Amino acid sequence: MVRLFFSLRTGARPWLIAGSTVQITSMVLLGCLCLNSFKPRSTCAAEPATANGQSSGGESPVDFNSQIRPILVANCTSCHGGVKQAGDVSFIYPEQVLPPDGWIVEPGDPDASILIERITTDDADIRMPPPDEHPDPLSPEDIELLRRWIAEGAQWQNMWALTPLGLASSPAELKTKHSAESKWGTQPLDQIVLANLQAKNLTPSEEAPAEQWLRRASFDLIGMPPSEDQLTEFLSKLESVSLTSEKEAVYAAEVDMMLAESHFGERWASVWMDLARYADSMGFEKDPHRDMWPYRDWLIQAFNADMPYDEFTIKQLAGDLLEDAMAGDWIATAFHRNTQTNTEGGTDDEEFRIAALIDRVNTTWTVWQASTFGCVQCHSHPYDPIEHDEYYASLAMFNDTMDVDLPDEYPTIRVPNDRSQLEHAIDVQRRAEELRHQRNAVGWDVAHAANWQSLTPASFKTTDGKLKQFDNQIVTDGGTFPPGTKYTVELNLEDLQTQLGEQPLSAMKLDILPLSDDPAQWPEQGSVLSELTAEWIDAEGNATPVAWAGVIADAITGSTDPDDALRGNASGAGEYPKLTGPRQTVFVMRDPSSWESLNEKSIKTLRLTMRQSHSTTGNLATPIRRLEWFATTEVEANQLLESDQWKQLTDSLAQARKEASQVKGPKLPIVFNRPAEAARETRVFVRGNWMERGEKVDPAIPVAFTQGTSVRPSDVNSRLELAQWLVSNDNPLTPRVWANRVWAQLFGIGLVETQEDFGSSGLQPTHPQLLDHLALQLRDEHRWHLKPFLRELVLSSTYRQTHHVSEELQQADPRNQWLARGPRTRLTAEMVRDQALAVSGLLTEQIGGPSVMPPQPDGVWQTVYSGASWKTATGPERYRRALYTYWRRTSPYPSFLTFDSPTRDLCAPRRIATNTPLQALVTLNDPVYAECGKALVEQTAAVDTQGTITPIESQIARMFVLVTQSQPTEWELHELKALYDDLDETSGVPQDDGKLNVDQNALAIVASTILNLDKALTK
Amino acid sequence: MNPLNDSVRLGLLQWQTRRHFLQNCSLGLAGMWLGSQANSVHGEAAQTSDAVPMLAPHFPPKAKRVIFLHMAGGPSQLELFDYKPDLQQLDGKDTPASFLEGKRFAFIQGVPKMLGPQFPFAQHGESGAWVSDRLPHFQSVVDKVCFVKSLHTTQFNHAPAQLLLHTGSQNLGSASFGAWTMYGLGSENQNLPGFVVLVSGGKTPSAGKSVWGSGFLPSVHQGVQCRSKGDPVLYLSNPEGVSRIQRRRALDTLAKLNRETFEQTGDAEVLTRISQYEMAFRMQTSATEAFDLTQETADVHAMYGTKPGEESFANNCLLARRLAERDVRFIQLFHWGWDSHGAGANEAINKGFHDRCREVDQPMTALLKDLDQRGLLEDTLVVWGGEFGRTPMRENRGGREMKLIGRDHNPGAFTMWFAGGGIKPGVSIGHTDDIGYEAVENKVSPHDLHATLQHLLGIDHHKLTYMSQGLPQRLSNVTQPSRIVTDMFA
Repeated sequence: MVRLFFSLRTGARPWLIAGSTVQITSMVLLGCLCLNSFKPRSTCAAEPATANGQSSGGESPVDFNSQIRPILVANCTSCHGGVKQAGDVSFIYPEQVLPPDGWIVEPGDPDASILIERITTDDADIRMPPPDEHPDPLSPEDIELLRRWIAEGAQWQNMWALTPLGLASSPAELKTKHSAESKWGTQPLDQIVLANLQAKNLTPSEEAPAEQWLRRASFDLIGMPPSEDQLTEFLSKLESVSLTSEKEAVYAAEVDMMLAESHFGERWASVWMDLARYADSMGFEKDPHRDMWPYRDWLIQAFNADMPYDEFTIKQLAGDLLEDAMAGDWIATAFHRNTQTNTEGGTDDEEFRIAALIDRVNTTWTVWQASTFGCVQCHSHPYDPIEHDEYYASLAMFNDTMDVDLPDEYPTIRVPNDRSQLEHAIDVQRRAEELRHQRNAVGWDVAHAANWQSLTPASFKTTDGKLKQFDNQIVTDGGTFPPGTKYTVELNLEDLQTQLGEQPLSAMKLDILPLSDDPAQWPEQGSVLSELTAEWIDAEGNATPVAWAGVIADAITGSTDPDDALRGNASGAGEYPKLTGPRQTVFVMRDPSSWESLNEKSIKTLRLTMRQSHSTTGNLATPIRRLEWFATTEVEANQLLESDQWKQLTDSLAQARKEASQVKGPKLPIVFNRPAEAARETRVFVRGNWMERGEKVDPAIPVAFTQGTSVRPSDVNSRLELAQWLVSNDNPLTPRVWANRVWAQLFGIGLVETQEDFGSSGLQPTHPQLLDHLALQLRDEHRWHLKPFLRELVLSSTYRQTHHVSEELQQADPRNQWLARGPRTRLTAEMVRDQALAVSGLLTEQIGGPSVMPPQPDGVWQTVYSGASWKTATGPERYRRALYTYWRRTSPYPSFLTFDSPTRDLCAPRRIATNTPLQALVTLNDPVYAECGKALVEQTAAVDTQGTITPIESQIARMFVLVTQSQPTEWELHELKALYDDLDETSGVPQDDGKLNVDQNALAIVASTILNLDKALTK
Repeated sequence: MNPLNDSVRLGLLQWQTRRHFLQNCSLGLAGMWLGSQANSVHGEAAQTSDAVPMLAPHFPPKAKRVIFLHMAGGPSQLELFDYKPDLQQLDGKDTPASFLEGKRFAFIQGVPKMLGPQFPFAQHGESGAWVSDRLPHFQSVVDKVCFVKSLHTTQFNHAPAQLLLHTGSQNLGSASFGAWTMYGLGSENQNLPGFVVLVSGGKTPSAGKSVWGSGFLPSVHQGVQCRSKGDPVLYLSNPEGVSRIQRRRALDTLAKLNRETFEQTGDAEVLTRISQYEMAFRMQTSATEAFDLTQETADVHAMYGTKPGEESFANNCLLARRLAERDVRFIQLFHWGWDSHGAGANEAINKGFHDRCREVDQPMTALLKDLDQRGLLEDTLVVWGGEFGRTPMRENRGGREMKLIGRDHNPGAFTMWFAGGGIKPGVSIGHTDDIGYEAVENKVSPHDLHATLQHLLGIDHHKLTYMSQGLPQRLSNVTQPSRIVTDMFA
């Protein structure tokens, strides 16, 4: 290690020499750092590993996850992993390493283990890792660890994050161990923090001043600073108590009050909006508007109502599949409609439907499992035991939704402007949709059971392109089929009569078929029959139209109805934008004519004219490329369509549609599934390429996530089951991941720093016991409720420490991962804006509603092919909280981006706070902040006294307190007053009435200075 | 690949920043453009006693900076650089079925007609490069340029193709070439953003700001869109009623109070903040100055065809030169309007295409000459091109003949040119088939291009990685093959 360290210093930089050399050094590097006065560098796992390789041997058994797996990941898995399995060896799957099937390790016998032989040999031809690419062998420490692990029986462990919760010692045990040493701590979690600090020879910091804690807690809970009154009351309550228990009660009451504020929901909704990739537009080139805000409001309400996380999860992932789904359940499904819709002309809708689908899979696994699932799209996971086809088994659960990347974003639901009508309004719309499907399904049940005879066309022709016949099928044969193309198919009456027998022709069926018979080649370009005209043609060529009673399809798979095929518009039978497989449509005759009557009229031919006018956004036609006509004489369908039952269904549908059409409000995209009859098949995409489809897969979750539980992977085979499994006690990751996210919001850094990745390529927890404790508290003690969980955190002694840091502590723990002080972190983009509005009295307190357009510089919105423009709000809408600012994906609000907001193109699991000059330009110069500065001056001038002018100093002091919740020191006040004096252009000359002139402009600059203080930009 | 490397590195960088700052702040608050982005100070890092990974360069670079002129919409290679006399023979004929099989088009359907080159071509310079008569100025600098005729892509729609060209992935969420360059090399100018984006043609690119975004990289690496009209950098001007003197005075107080906060808290991030405010103050002057085209002589304006105060490609070219002089690392220009479908006059080969050519011809030529005269071309890599090419067939939107002449998107072949920064001048690399439909020889994908251009910047594209979605991501795309096109190197 020392040798490597020197090579670092001399600039050899071994990890940059050859691509795969990189593996050598991560842990080694950590080791170096530890030697080099970085002692508490905390990027490596905390317990039980010290820096890997430094264990002196003998004491506790080797831990696979914290000691062995990192060696394998750093040195072995890039060649012997999930993607590359050189020599058919993979260090990801235990069965490939350990007996009976594996041959790499002989448990209990290091010397008989090939692993040890290969890493210790001097023979360059067989040494691992290969010396040509990896000049340095494994360190003696690593080798010793591997030997010990094998000697101790080579116990394999599932990934740490998948191990059951609570195996680490409980806080109660810790307490008995440590209570003798210290009384520090108000919560069990503090005991764990303390134990870790003591192990590092660190001690907790003092308790923060009350106002420091209040500012921190207020931002963390409601995203805004405490008001002037709140601060004053809190401090005075504290002054009036003396007992510790009384003081605790004051703190607790303060927290309860903040948790009860409706701003709480706004703050936590904005956290979730990053994960949900919330935006007010559809994305890609035109990036048009999308009515997404009712979902954002649902989030706010859910957080305010403290909806338990299990419910919160199930509604968002599968609200549509709940029995008796309520309005909120439907709205919640919009979570997965935050994917992008590509409305650019000439795009392939299937390509972007799949992009959205993949986004849903990746987002789900990132948000709930912090698993880097995305890479499994193309190949097995390089580091974690997740196989390629398991990705598609997961994808299969999401693959059956109705949305197909169309600009109308069907399916959608109108959320009524009149919220008192919410349940009713959603209910009628759902009823209309369900009746539409139900009515067709009733018809199909009857119609498809008839005896259908395939018909041989007597002749056929087309207005464009060429057609050919193959058996009874008519197939395209080259040429161009623009929208508006008409096929004419003629059937010979005599043939029909011969084929069908005595009974009259009663209904016809059209099969629209993919060109390919191989399901792996599906879906194909859409195929739509826009309008069918049928006529009886007599010997003289006179035409008598055939009247139809109705049209029934095998399933309804879009926003349009089969009946459209009789209506003269572009939509109709078939499928759009893609043909997912053979589709059948039945045309039921109104008055079947007897053969006699037809013969009497000298009818010779039945002529079918098939107009195809539909086209894609790229003006690409959707011609029928292969079709076959059938006929029947059975009359059950005709009878059904004349029955009372059908009339009732039709009337109810019409009534429901009428009611639904009266609902006025935003049109929110939602999720629901296609009918089971039209279920999509899921196939593996070979190497992730959606155009190359491999084996069919059934829905399931990856095996690795079920180990140690009674769940079988295929038990979880729908979105609803997935959601329920995620929040079940069989899933330790969900509570760990959510607890860690919440922790990171408060402390600035997660216990697992890689909030987005709990797998082998992420970092291990600094405090595994604490993480498990928090996860258990959240899930079991607080029953998934966020508010009591947050209450526990913000009242903990750990959180309540002062943020002051000594030079030694700064050196020892620069990023405060060991928690020997309170967190001091920069405000988020949202908080920066909200604070300025709140303290200046400008804030519009309205909760929810459509997104707004506060001032932004001219020319920021210039999007191609889109008429959308930024209409700067006037009046109260200028001053809404940040989360209501209109979020256009291709052009997010610039000042938020500057403060590290993600673009929300994709799920954004972690923001990394930066500190840049562009941020300074925003808070100094953005007119929004200039306006806030002025308002801050006005509001501090207005309130104070009757008639007498507030002395400048007291006004400055008041502004200072409003913004920072701390009293300026005498020196600070003096400096700010001096600034005012220097800027004051009235030269302090009194007016005629003896009152002092106040230079408002100079005060505004002072206010801006206060708003730009480091104290103001941090919490 | 080392999965832990990035997080470790990030931690180290943050640590390093503060450490560096604590050691050096007494020397003045300069030295750090971009706080946590401490890789920009790797020069110092190598000298300190701390082992901080240097990201790049991995070997001596040929180019120190990049000027990327993106012609958004996909200019027709068949009307500019890729001369195809055989295509002329096929003009007006039905496209043979073999050209259509297995192809996906944005707008063409059925059987379109072939369309011959619409403008005369001639050879120019000592290198004998073929250039059409649409670019009379550019003809004079062909000997400085390396043409690559064999570019091809997998995407046939604008937004995904632009993303692929600029981020290495057709999907949103990956980091742009500029952002990777910032991540790897940092900035050499302390008073200007290191990655500047300039847009003309009245529109941002189809894929929006993601084409200069930071994707999974820390957001600090994203491009900063600057304007040739109004504040060059957003929020650069003091608000109304605040003079520069007043601002200076206020910042003095701010710095004093913040230093006191540092004393009170010990939080080194406060010191970084103080320095960033000073940087912002300097940037107000330096950016304003850098973007002030009135400082240029009449001769220069005549050469570029610039008019100060306009939003134009010409102005942006001149700005690009001024920014290059100031060591801005990555300068990216977008000029909208090359989507020559023929569906409207502004986007027809026989109408709007003329205007586009006129708008870019003189300024891009001036830029090359000017950089050369000033000795900047040597270490400035200039890149020109669109996101895909155009079909040798005439577009037949809706299956019908259109009034104006247009070509559909063609991912199979397009031409880009390169100059300066280690590029071999006066050559043409790669070939397309006889009708300019498909690249057939020495094919270059966007991934190849990324690997190649990063090489010129001293970056080994395999080694500059960042962990995201469980993979060590890189510009050249970890899931795709890529090669370095050494034929392009001088």
